[in-house]
Amino acid sequence: MKKIRILLADDHTLIRGGLRLIIEQHADLSVVGEAEDGRQAVALAESLRPDVAVLDIGMPNLNGIDAAKQITEGDSGTAVVVLSMHRDETYILRALKAGVRGYLLKDSAESDLVRAIRAVAERKSFFSPAVSKVLLEDYMRKLKRTGAEDSYDLLTPREREILQLVAEGKSNKEVAAILNLSVYTVETHRSNIMEKLKLKSLPELILYAVRKGIIA
Amino acid sequence: MHAQEGNPKSTPDLHPEDRPALRRLRAVLALGYGGLLVLLLCSGANALQTLRKLHDAEESARQRSVERRRVLTTVVLSASVYSNNVERVLLSEKPPEDDGITAEVLQRAKEALSAVKAYPPYTTLEEQNLLAHLQASLLEEEDIFRSAKAWNPQEFRGRAQQVVSEELIPRRQQFVTIAQQIEMLNDNEVLAEQQASFAEFARLQERLTRLLLVALTSGLMLAIGSAIYILRLERQERLRYAELAHNREELQELSARLVDAQETERRSLSRELHDEVGQALGLLLMDVGRLSNQLGADAKGQEMVQRIKTVAERTVQTVRNMALLLRPSMLDDLGLVSALEWYAREVSRSSETEVEVKAENVSETLPDSLMVCIYRVVQEAVNNAQRHARAKNVTVELRETDTSVQVQVKDDGTGFDGKRTRGIGLLGMEERVKRLGGSISIESQPGAGTTIRAELPLHVAKSSHVA
Repeated sequence: MKKIRILLADDHTLIRGGLRLIIEQHADLSVVGEAEDGRQAVALAESLRPDVAVLDIGMPNLNGIDAAKQITEGDSGTAVVVLSMHRDETYILRALKAGVRGYLLKDSAESDLVRAIRAVAERKSFFSPAVSKVLLEDYMRKLKRTGAEDSYDLLTPREREILQLVAEGKSNKEVAAILNLSVYTVETHRSNIMEKLKLKSLPELILYAVRKGIIA
Repeated sequence: MHAQEGNPKSTPDLHPEDRPALRRLRAVLALGYGGLLVLLLCSGANALQTLRKLHDAEESARQRSVERRRVLTTVVLSASVYSNNVERVLLSEKPPEDDGITAEVLQRAKEALSAVKAYPPYTTLEEQNLLAHLQASLLEEEDIFRSAKAWNPQEFRGRAQQVVSEELIPRRQQFVTIAQQIEMLNDNEVLAEQQASFAEFARLQERLTRLLLVALTSGLMLAIGSAIYILRLERQERLRYAELAHNREELQELSARLVDAQETERRSLSRELHDEVGQALGLLLMDVGRLSNQLGADAKGQEMVQRIKTVAERTVQTVRNMALLLRPSMLDDLGLVSALEWYAREVSRSSETEVEVKAENVSETLPDSLMVCIYRVVQEAVNNAQRHARAKNVTVELRETDTSVQVQVKDDGTGFDGKRTRGIGLLGMEERVKRLGGSISIESQPGAGTTIRAELPLHVAKSSHVA
């Protein structure tokens, strides 16, 4: 079986050591490199072409989010899991915009880390359950304050299916294949979803899905 | 604060040595002005008095002269009337039989004599002699008349003509001569008095001239003294103003440095918490996780591990919150707007106050000092709105123009009287904003909420990035 090759980036040596210990307990995972700042992480992602990069947000020189952006925009095909101490949507949305697929809270890292690495390696998304909870709470409070309706109810069952698949990271073509639909139909559904939920981009859609607990 | 102690006073303090000198100068000036005033008053009064005296003297001399002239005229007239009467009697060629005529002549004589006696008493010796001469002459004439009355008609006819031509007429001429002499004397006296008055006037003039000179000189000196006084005061004022401005600058510099120091301190504390404590706790948590895996099915052990994990997680949370409060890492990671949005959500989550952030094209790459300033201002304002004003809603608006960043924090809280309340927090905001060359206005009224507006220039904002 092919092992998942992992790059670790954290400015704290001890944390890197701890992460490595957790990861290497699993036979299907192997750490191929360690970086101590964002810039080094980008460089190593280029040269080592790992499957997954686990990045801390608070790093010197280049922070984790900016590093993630450069890595996902590069051609290494590396998926990024971000380790963060922030459960706020500002960070999550920013991470999503940077192409991050996995968002882990540092204090829950141990249990979720391996799940997250495996998920993003398969092009799926993973978010710490605590994150979803906070996002949902914020969302509900905002709805209450502005008096708006939860627009999720406006979606048809088919649209909900598509929303989940798209949020999980599937392309239109993959969704079409799974649901036995034409790509064109999936595209139409997708833009209807965006319109109904007043969303502007894929990261916002993913954030919405995380918030609603559709994906985790 | 050691740096402050070593800072020497750069402006000279002139109070200790200059104050007494100024006071002395002031006393001298007051004395001078007072003296000059008294001098002018006294001499003015003196001049007036002298002039009045001169006038009085002249007036009385004139009156005296007029009076004498009048009396003299009366004397001459009555003497000539008397003499004419006597002459008429004598030329009537017979002694007067009628007593009425005699009585009339004698009456005239009396009148003439009383006219002489009525002459004013204030006369010179010469005048008195002349008057005595006149009186004697009148009396002699009366004697002649009385003796002529006793003559028999022959005698009368024989001598009357002779008496008239030898006694009466020359005597009458003598009267006129004496009167003229007296008048001349009189004129002389008037002239003398006039001269005396002129002399007195000349003296007065001289006195006044001298006084004028003295007044002018002392006035000039006083003016010079005053000018010196004023110049010195002015100089002192200028120096004091400079000193004041300098002090204010120093104070501002100090408070700016305090703000900077606070920010630096917070940043390093935050970093310390995040790096050292946060890392240690993270590691602890990981080890706890591994320990949990090691323990496997040991229920009691798992329970203990779970307890350790809970405490550690809570501590991580606390430390993180402390670090964020000290220095929001979002400012570094995500930029100003995201940091403010994060802060708004944090407040909304943990309090009764809903905070909304509206931002218009604000760039992510603002100078650090500017971001920190705006962040702290908003933080303070929101904090006030939430804690003191019990606001339900707070709206934070951000706008970036070509030259500046504008921020407005508006709440619907209880507000305050801006004229009286000036909290240390508001002062801190002002200090931060002014430091970056910006302006801030705080609008509030009890019951009408509070609006804080700040504008910070983009170009002046110095990037005082402290790691």
